[in-house]
Formats: sequence, structure tokens, C-alpha cells
Amino acid sequence: MLRFEREVVTALGNALDQPTRGAVEAFVDGSLRALPEPVRAGVLGETVLLGAYVGWLRFAGRLATSEDLRHKLDAWETSRISYLRQYVHLFRSMVLFAENELAPA
Amino acid sequence: MARITTEVLVIGSGAGGAVTAARLAEAGRQVLVVEEGPWFDADEHEPFSLPEMVAKYRNGGAQVALGNPAVAFGEGRCVGGSTEVNSGLFHRLPDYLAEEWQHTYDIDDFSAQTLAFYAGQVEAELQVSTLPTAPPPSSAILEHGATKLGWRNVEFARVYRYDQAGRGVKQTMSRTLLPKALAAGAELIADCRVVKLLRPRADRGRVVGARCVRTHPDGGRETLDIQADQVVVCAGAIQTPALLQRSGIRHNIGRGLKLHPTVKIAARFPHPVDHGDVPMHRVTEFAPNLTIGGSASRKGQIAMALAEATHDIAEPLADWENISIYYAAIRSEGSGRVRAVPGLTSPLITYKLTEADMSRLAQGLVHLGEVLFAAGATELYPSLVGGPVARQLGDIGAWWDRSTRANTNLMTVHMTSTVRMGNDRSRTGTDSYGRVWDVANLHVNDGSLLPDAPGVNPQAAIMTIATRNTEHLLSNL
Repeated sequence: MLRFEREVVTALGNALDQPTRGAVEAFVDGSLRALPEPVRAGVLGETVLLGAYVGWLRFAGRLATSEDLRHKLDAWETSRISYLRQYVHLFRSMVLFAENELAPA
Repeated sequence: MARITTEVLVIGSGAGGAVTAARLAEAGRQVLVVEEGPWFDADEHEPFSLPEMVAKYRNGGAQVALGNPAVAFGEGRCVGGSTEVNSGLFHRLPDYLAEEWQHTYDIDDFSAQTLAFYAGQVEAELQVSTLPTAPPPSSAILEHGATKLGWRNVEFARVYRYDQAGRGVKQTMSRTLLPKALAAGAELIADCRVVKLLRPRADRGRVVGARCVRTHPDGGRETLDIQADQVVVCAGAIQTPALLQRSGIRHNIGRGLKLHPTVKIAARFPHPVDHGDVPMHRVTEFAPNLTIGGSASRKGQIAMALAEATHDIAEPLADWENISIYYAAIRSEGSGRVRAVPGLTSPLITYKLTEADMSRLAQGLVHLGEVLFAAGATELYPSLVGGPVARQLGDIGAWWDRSTRANTNLMTVHMTSTVRMGNDRSRTGTDSYGRVWDVANLHVNDGSLLPDAPGVNPQAAIMTIATRNTEHLLSNL
């Protein structure tokens, strides 16, 4: 999992305790590794582009916290660009599923 | 490199492969089954749980047919294939579809009567049955809602064996036909991926076996060549065409992928709903082009479903025990393609939905909303980005305009039709019984053969056709 992907998982996460956060991150990492190669290649490409864009936003002082990134992700999920929407949808689905299946009852 | 010799090599152990192996072995043939995935005890994982997804699904359950919109899908990758992870619904191929396919693709011996004969065999063997008790709340919701609206609905039979208390055990292939095949002398190698079929350079009209990579429990891998007189590929509608293409067989292979695009609603009720099983009732008022049913609804799946409509899921998710997920699945006019990519394990899968498909999906979402409100739902969360969440019947009208390609999240679990069967060589990849054109001893016997999506869970059609084709193969060996 690339650094920006880890940032996305953190920004989308709601788990309060560290063990669950760690387990969610490990699940997402494993799921990304398991993706079909053509899909993983596409996700990697988007990660590089979006990571660079977010890096530029940070440099320009327009994005500072994980909460800012979360708002950005929320906006991307309703983007007109299909692959941008699907990128956020993929990560949000993995994080939510893992949080709710892995968290202690 | 290790070498094994067998009479019949069956590639894949799901609904098609298990039928093929059991029938051939019981007829006294020497059969070897290879399965890419691992062999688990059928009770080892909780159904629809995260551990089950990681262990038994290909790619951890995260596969996608690329397109606008993309369609997420899942398929089993373990001994027993998708029969280990599906809902076990068993619905015979409708008679009119059998007749339509027979005429359109010029399929021999494909009358409704013929198929009914083989379907009866499968049903008796798997003890296909309906509930001996009242349906659980999640299923009764569909029955009550549809009845209130005057819509047709039915409890679908399933491959379940029930005790007197109504507790059911799904009759997966690892519990039923595979043990039968093994008892009759077949052998099965799990964790064994077929890389390509072996075809002699001097005679491209036949195969002599398959090259596999076998993974051992310690993680070590070895190449294994299996020599066989006959090869039957039963790896499903995605992996079967990919394997044939990797082996240089491309005539009408991988084109025409069909699936049932599906939209969902997470429905909140003023009372608890069960979450341990999948509803067995279906609303058939708009069948076969549109079917309404229920999905797996564990907390994780409910969280994902809620988040498709809104980001404010904390409040409804706290009430998740009162929420269940329902779907509307359509027969699609569109189609897709499976392409093996040199050097990659996974094929590239694409699917194009037509405007009529999108309209039918919107219609399905609205009808699903109507039946859920009729059943007493208080809030509906559609699989539309940004919803809106509906709290009364009048709210769902907004879904018509919101059901665009940009907003609609789709999924499916039924893939078919990538190696169609029939005598019309211009449209099919095999003859009427699954023998691959121009390769004398190579056969396909899985969901790839279905000429179109059946509009219902395809397991019954796959097993019925696989039984018929295996009988034909036996008569020619």
C-alpha cells in the first residue's frame, strides 16, 4: 500500500481504537494486493496522480489535516469523472466493511 | 516438473465441474479434478463474513467489470467454487428461454422436456427444497410487501437440507457431488492453477492435457503437467474464456459476457430483521427482465450500503439490527468481454450497459422502494451516490432522475455466456454439447455455455446443462 493510500484509509476511517485501525489498514492492504492486476494497476496510477495533487494542495496551504482530505474525498465521490468516483468508492467500501466486521461486538 | 496421467481432466470444481466429475467417475471413468483455490471444511467460515470473503472469493471478492458504470462482482475460488459462497437459490431455466435459446443458437436436444428431465435428476440429488417452517422476517418482508401491492411473489427453492426445526445446511458441491466423485474413484488436487492447455504443434485440433502450477501447504510451488485423453474446462464464465485464450483458442471465446446488473437498497424497519441468512422470497411480478430479492446483510455490508446514499451513516448504523439489504436485478441488453492479457494472471473484463438497461435499473430501484415501503420500511437508502434517502413513498420519485451512469453503483454475482453453445458457428464457441469448435477432445461445461443471462440465479441451469452434456460426452467416449 502506498503512502497516499494509507492516508486515504486513515481519512475515511471511523475506528477509535488503535488495534481496529491497524486491522483495517492490514485488511485494505491485503485487499489491494489481491485485486486483479489490471484493476490494481489502474488504482496505483490514480494513487500516484491524486497523491501528487494532494501534495501540491498541501504545499499551497490549501489542505492541512486528515479531515481536509476527507472532505476532498467526499467531493471526489460525486465527481463527474467515473474513475475518481470509483477510486473513493473502493476505499470507502473496504474501510467500512473492515471496520464493521473486525471491530469487537 | 511433475507429470500425471488421467483419462479425463476436469478443470474447476464448482457447479459445472462437480457435476461433470461425479457423473464421469460414477460411470467408471478415470477422473482428475484440479481446482485453483484451496479446500476448506464447509463449516470453517461464517457465511458472508470477512474471513469467508478473504478465503473463498477470487481477489478477496473485489472484482470488477470495467465500464460506465463499472459493475462490481464476486466469484468463488475454492473447492466447490461459487456454490460454497452463494445463496443456494435453485431456479429451473424457464421453458420459454430454453425454446428461445434452442432456436436462436440452433442447439440440439435442448427442449424444455429434455432439460426438465435433467433438472429433476439434479434436484433429487441435491435435495432441493423450500422452507419447512415460516420464512424469517427478512424474507417475509418481501412476501408481505408484494402481496399488499398485488404483485406476484414466490419462495424460491434452495439447495438446502432442512431439519424439523427449519435449520438448513446448504448442499454445496464440497458437501455433495465432490464427495460422490471421490467415492467413485475420482481424484482432486486443490491449490492447482491451470496456466494453459497443452496442444501439440503438429495437431492443433486436439489437446493432450494442461500445464499447472501447484502450490503446496508450505507455500512452495511446482509445475505440474497433466496428460489427459479428454479435457473439460469448468472454470466459470470469467476464467474459462481466459484459459482458452491463453491456450490460443479464440473463436467466439470471451465475447458476449452477460450478467445481471443489480441495484440495492438498505431498508430500515421499526423492528429487528434477521441477518444470518439470505431472504428466499423473490418478487416475480416483473420477471424475467426484473427480479426483486434480498441480499446478505451483515453489519459490514449494511455499512457499505448505507454509505452509498449518504455519508451520515452513524445514526442508522447504530440501528443496523433493524436494517436489511434488498436488490433489483435486471436482464441486461448490454454485454461485455473477457480478455486474457499476456503476462497477467487476471483477465481484463469490460461491460457496456445500454440506455435501456439504465432505464430498467431505475425502474427496478423504484419498484423495490415501493415494495419495501409497502412492507413497512421507514427509511430507504438506495445504491445511488448522494441518495436521496427516502422516508415516504413520495420521496422515491427523485430516484428516477438520480439514476444516472454517474450516480448508480452496481454489482452482480451472476456471469454467463462467454463461450456460447450451439450449432451456429458464427455465434458460438462450442457445439450443442460444449465441445470446443475445432478441438476434438476439449469441452466446456459451466456457465460460459449459457447463451444469455437467465434472469434468475444460474446455478440450476448450469447444473442441468452440465448433466446433459456429461451424458452426451459419456455416450461418445
